[in-house]
Amino acid sequence: MQPLLLLLSLSTSGSGAGPVNFDKTVAPLLAGRCLDCHSGADRKGGLDLSTSQGLHAGGDSGPVVDKKPSESLLVQRVNADEMPPKHPLPLAERAILQKWIEEGAAWGSDPIDPYRYSTSTRAGSDWWAFQKLNRPALKPGRANLIDGIVRAKLVEKKLTPSPAADPRTLIRRVFFDLIGLPPTPAEVEAFARDASPEAYAKLVDRLLRSPHYGERWARHWLDVSRFGESDGYEFDKLRPNAWRFRDWVIQALNDDMPYDRFAKLQIAGDVLEPANPSAIVASGFLVCGAHDSLQPAGDVMKQIMRQDELEDLVGVVGQTFLGMTVNCARCHDHKFDPIRQSDYFRFAAALSGVRRGDRALPVKPPAELADKIDELRKNIAALEMPARERVLQDRKTSAKLSPQVPKPFASWDFSRDLRDTVGGLHGRAIGTAKLTNGALQLDGKGHVETGPLPVSVLEKSLEAWVKLDNPDQRGGGVIGIRSPDGGVFDCVVYGEREPRRWMAGSESFRRTQAFQGAEESQAHLKYVHVAITYAADGTVTAYRDGVPYGKSYRVEQQQRFEKSSLNHVVFGLRHLPAGGNKHLTGSILRANLYTQALSATEVAASALGEGYVSVSDLEAKLSGGDREKRKRLLGELATAEVKMHDWMSAKAFAVTPQPPPVTHRLKRGNPQEKAELITAGGLSVLKSSDFGLPVNAPEADSRRRLAEWIADKDNPLFARTIVNRVWQYHFGRGLVDTPNDLGFNGGQPSHPELLDGLAAEFIARKWSLKELHRLIVTSDTYRQASVSRPEAMAVDADNRLLWRVSPRRLEAEAVRDATLAVAGRLNPAVGGPGYRDVRPYIFRTSQFYEPLDPEGPESNRRSVYRLSARGGKNSLLDTFDCADPSTPTPKRAATTTPLQALSLMNGSFTLRMADHLAARLRAEGGSSTDDQIRLAFALAYGRPAKGPELTACREVVSKHGLAPFCRALLNTNGFLYVH
Amino acid sequence: MSTSTASRRDFLSFPLRGIGATAALSLLAAQGRAAQGRAAPTHFPAKAKRVIHVCLCGGVSQIDTFDFKPELAKRHGQPLGGSERPDVFFGQVGLLRKNDWEFKKRGQSGLWVSDLFPHLATVADELTVIRSMVAESSSHTPATFQENSGFRLNGFPSVGSWLSYGLGSETDDLPAFVVLPDTRGLPAGGTINWSNGFLPARHQGVMFQSKGAAISDLVPARPLPPDADRDARALQRHLNQLDLADRGANDELDSRIKAYELAAKMQLAVPRVTDLSGEDEATKALYGMDREESKDFGRNCLLARRLLEQGVRFVQLFSGGPFGSPRINWDGHEDVKENHAREAVRVDQPVAGLLKDLRRRGMLDDTLVLFTSEFGRTPFTQSNADAIGSGRDHNQYGFSVWLAGAGLRHGLAYGSTDSIGWKAVENRTTWYDFHATVLKLLGIDHTKLTFYHNGIHRRLTNVHGDVIQGILA
Repeated sequence: MQPLLLLLSLSTSGSGAGPVNFDKTVAPLLAGRCLDCHSGADRKGGLDLSTSQGLHAGGDSGPVVDKKPSESLLVQRVNADEMPPKHPLPLAERAILQKWIEEGAAWGSDPIDPYRYSTSTRAGSDWWAFQKLNRPALKPGRANLIDGIVRAKLVEKKLTPSPAADPRTLIRRVFFDLIGLPPTPAEVEAFARDASPEAYAKLVDRLLRSPHYGERWARHWLDVSRFGESDGYEFDKLRPNAWRFRDWVIQALNDDMPYDRFAKLQIAGDVLEPANPSAIVASGFLVCGAHDSLQPAGDVMKQIMRQDELEDLVGVVGQTFLGMTVNCARCHDHKFDPIRQSDYFRFAAALSGVRRGDRALPVKPPAELADKIDELRKNIAALEMPARERVLQDRKTSAKLSPQVPKPFASWDFSRDLRDTVGGLHGRAIGTAKLTNGALQLDGKGHVETGPLPVSVLEKSLEAWVKLDNPDQRGGGVIGIRSPDGGVFDCVVYGEREPRRWMAGSESFRRTQAFQGAEESQAHLKYVHVAITYAADGTVTAYRDGVPYGKSYRVEQQQRFEKSSLNHVVFGLRHLPAGGNKHLTGSILRANLYTQALSATEVAASALGEGYVSVSDLEAKLSGGDREKRKRLLGELATAEVKMHDWMSAKAFAVTPQPPPVTHRLKRGNPQEKAELITAGGLSVLKSSDFGLPVNAPEADSRRRLAEWIADKDNPLFARTIVNRVWQYHFGRGLVDTPNDLGFNGGQPSHPELLDGLAAEFIARKWSLKELHRLIVTSDTYRQASVSRPEAMAVDADNRLLWRVSPRRLEAEAVRDATLAVAGRLNPAVGGPGYRDVRPYIFRTSQFYEPLDPEGPESNRRSVYRLSARGGKNSLLDTFDCADPSTPTPKRAATTTPLQALSLMNGSFTLRMADHLAARLRAEGGSSTDDQIRLAFALAYGRPAKGPELTACREVVSKHGLAPFCRALLNTNGFLYVH
Repeated sequence: MSTSTASRRDFLSFPLRGIGATAALSLLAAQGRAAQGRAAPTHFPAKAKRVIHVCLCGGVSQIDTFDFKPELAKRHGQPLGGSERPDVFFGQVGLLRKNDWEFKKRGQSGLWVSDLFPHLATVADELTVIRSMVAESSSHTPATFQENSGFRLNGFPSVGSWLSYGLGSETDDLPAFVVLPDTRGLPAGGTINWSNGFLPARHQGVMFQSKGAAISDLVPARPLPPDADRDARALQRHLNQLDLADRGANDELDSRIKAYELAAKMQLAVPRVTDLSGEDEATKALYGMDREESKDFGRNCLLARRLLEQGVRFVQLFSGGPFGSPRINWDGHEDVKENHAREAVRVDQPVAGLLKDLRRRGMLDDTLVLFTSEFGRTPFTQSNADAIGSGRDHNQYGFSVWLAGAGLRHGLAYGSTDSIGWKAVENRTTWYDFHATVLKLLGIDHTKLTFYHNGIHRRLTNVHGDVIQGILA
């Protein structure tokens, strides 16, 4: 890290007049220069400089201080440049030591608290951020807390505030700011015309009540949370239930959930309110970051990876809620802030039970839904009954109409037992496999195996009636033949290479290709029949519910399974050795093995059975009206069943806690070097940080206590951090410039009184974020114009003092959302699983995401609903600096690059939206070109077109039509900037 | 107003940084600099100005390539011995297996190179081999992240991004950092491998596709009438200028106007640089483009040279796609002989040809070529304890990489592993050291190239790294 330039603040008593103040000058010097080696159990040279007793006791070489500085070993070694080794002390510091010893080497706090005072290189416990909130008095004559403080600072620098922004500028600003969308032309004009004093307050009120407010501000929070919907790393697997956390944030913000509760639920919702589904969803905050799901066999590497994971957790909790980079103290005490390594491990202890995964939510489906499904089923059966009977009747008169199925070589009916009902290939249950509810139940830890194959098998068919517990499971086998070590096998496998698809599994995918069948969407709702036939010529064909599944393919050679004591039939397992994703979770009703490849008709017949009536046969016997009615009822049933399934299987990617091992401090962060035991606690620099928990406290207690300690009104970091964050999103820059770091590296706030005032006000207003927004956006400071003024630029070009509002480029999502809105294509639907602008595909064993540009209402939703896979990029959002979900992003860059220009100018999204906008202008903009252009400006800029603009646009429109004009307009600064 | 997240502190910590500094504003600066013909100033005099990084995915066996171990051959078929139970990725420790390719001393330097790389052997005198590399992970993706970004985790900027940030670009019309993936597929982790992490978006690696337009959105997504396209651009520019005139001087609005001009230049530059038809047949043959096995990688190597000629700072070429079976990278778990033979023939002649071509054009004097793999492979096989299997497992404890070009001692083998080529024992070299050295050769002090992110002045080398003095000329 940085060279330690310990320039002690000499404004206090240093080498100047007056006696040396030990705590303020000597202690930090000793702490910074000497105590790394000369303290603790393994102190160098037997010398302990952290206590008065140690100083006077001296070390292996004898006493280190003498009345005469020149006789003192300490001074001698320092002056000889021997100590500290390799880093000689600056003269000023030598002088301090010399003077201190001269004056009798008086001691102060014992032992030394190295972090008692801030120095020029690091923060101590007197650092501003750790002090109690200091609520300022309102400045006289100013109703608004903000304006009083900001004006006073401006006056100090002889600056004047800017005049109020004009209404059109202001409404566009506050729209983007609060809901992330542009105002409509009608809204702009209404506001511009409304001269009443309450007009603006009413507008703010309306925006804060809009459901789009939550969407806008959730995006900010998701940045900070490093929210993503896939694992990252090699497998980068999708997390299909991660979106619920995103929706929870949106909902919580829209409901104006008090911020202390908002925070507590995200740290410990699942243990604070275990019966509350949304509290469980909230805990997704902790685990929504990247995570390497590929665990090596070796223990050393596994432990390091677990420590990396804890660092991520400690980091995100410390930075998000406290503005403290607690994670920087994993290997040693924090270099810049008074955070000890033991503090890091206190956090780690509180979070060490956190593991991640899909978690079932405690929800009950409504009774009406179940009733409705029952009724629909009955109605359909009643409707079909007469037709069905007529079909079966016909078959009795003509054998040709009856389907014929060859006799299987072996057949199992699991509604009865595990025995082969044809020959002697009886099964036996292994692990947890069991027969219940009339089927073979597999919970992912068991399977069924038969005795050895009594014949050699080359051609064959495998079939089974199977139901899945979860359609997103990956890699389980249904029925297969396999060699003893699993080195050779053919098996009906679900979802291994591609999610939700059936495949013919084989060793190293030797005889496996994609059937390209449809995505499975029913097998978790009902039993489906799945069959794979292996013909002698190498053709492999799959069937689902009696009809061909995708396309068949040919392999060079089918595998011959010899008659041998080693080859067995297996159910519920892809191949041996058992374990991992090779197990199926679900149930199997029946299964058959044929020693021949069945034909398509034979499979259909087998699938559908004697009593089976095909849809075409059935429909032939129904009247036209009944056919329609049946179709409608089936549609309703499917919808209801999907709803029921959603209820029954509602899951969230959230914390799945596990009892953690005890926590040790790890020397240098190394899992192999355990130091003392640590119990969960807060930062020792703040009060009440000792939770008094035992080292083996239940994880729920540890995490709950951490959440309560963090979100306490007496924790000064908690309120300051969020208030600063909110300020940043309103003004483009925080009062402290680094919202995740109020420590030494973050520096001093530009307006300390304001930060404290807002924080105190925020707590007084019951942690209401909406009240905080209201306070900010109704201030005169916020309502200033953005126009640059040379005299103010000369004093404060950065606008740190807020003599104006700085213009800002729209963020990535706002560019896309505003484009959709202006083009009239924005789909305002709130919530639910995200839209996908990537195609997830598995190549080999890795997950990839190919960028797409999907069209239609689903993908025209707001960008916050975009499926955020870590490996799935969107070049438009990316070039506009959207957050990388792999790392917490408390503040976005706003870059300008040629690639950005290319993306916005040439991307299919812009071209399509330009066409839509052109169509909208034709439909809504009247018949004259000028009116159409005026509407375009009103939509995109929120103001009327000016003369020269109109002239330039008219020329292009007259030559090329509206679309090229729209494309240009969506690329201009007038659209992309908010003033 | 500040247009970058780079704080004041970062500017101070790298006061002489080039045009990567302030994102938007830098576009102006770049033009000025280019006009004045000045290179970006650096901490030290730079030996190299640009880099080609050949990134071999899956783990190349050191004992079959650059690390000759006669002792291993003697102990062929014996157990590893000793009391240590190796912490290997798949947990299987078979018997020791000798190198599958013969080694010979090559060139004037007498550097050992195996017959796996007959073409690279002819340029052995250009190579600086480090035989004592160690990595912190034996899992591909974390190890590859570390090879590229110094960290095992998602979310950190890669070397190319750091260089773009530190040195900027010498060209306005091409990206500073270009990635050429294997034509068979992206490496595992995909685009995360060339992420800018927390650095501003302009520093991310730009992938050139081998089919269609080389970079996305280079041309309109559907064909537009040329005059409508041109007039739309002109209108866009005109509206921006009207806006600017209304608002008074504003660097940011101005730089956006410039960005569109640069985009237009890029639209011309990219097709020009990717069009290899102007290269003569002899050059193409030099890169192995006349042979089926090596034509894809040869094309990428030739393209890399052309990109460097046009001022691109960092070109990264991947040899190998994702994991799984059948293998399409260097991950020889089942059969190293079959696997490495297949992979090597794809890259051997192209990379050797690249070095020869750079040399004859004088470019090797200020270009750095890196040839690395995320880790090596074990001297014992991945098999039952009593068998000499045909595959080898991952080995993070000792492996070989090489560098070539500016500022290096050529024909040198630096550091060594133990007698069987398992663990580095002499001059152990970490990725931090490696990266520190690469930065040094480019004139950068690795402790001073920093970017503030969430409490830490982040570096490519974390808090570690010593420049490998022993390989510097």
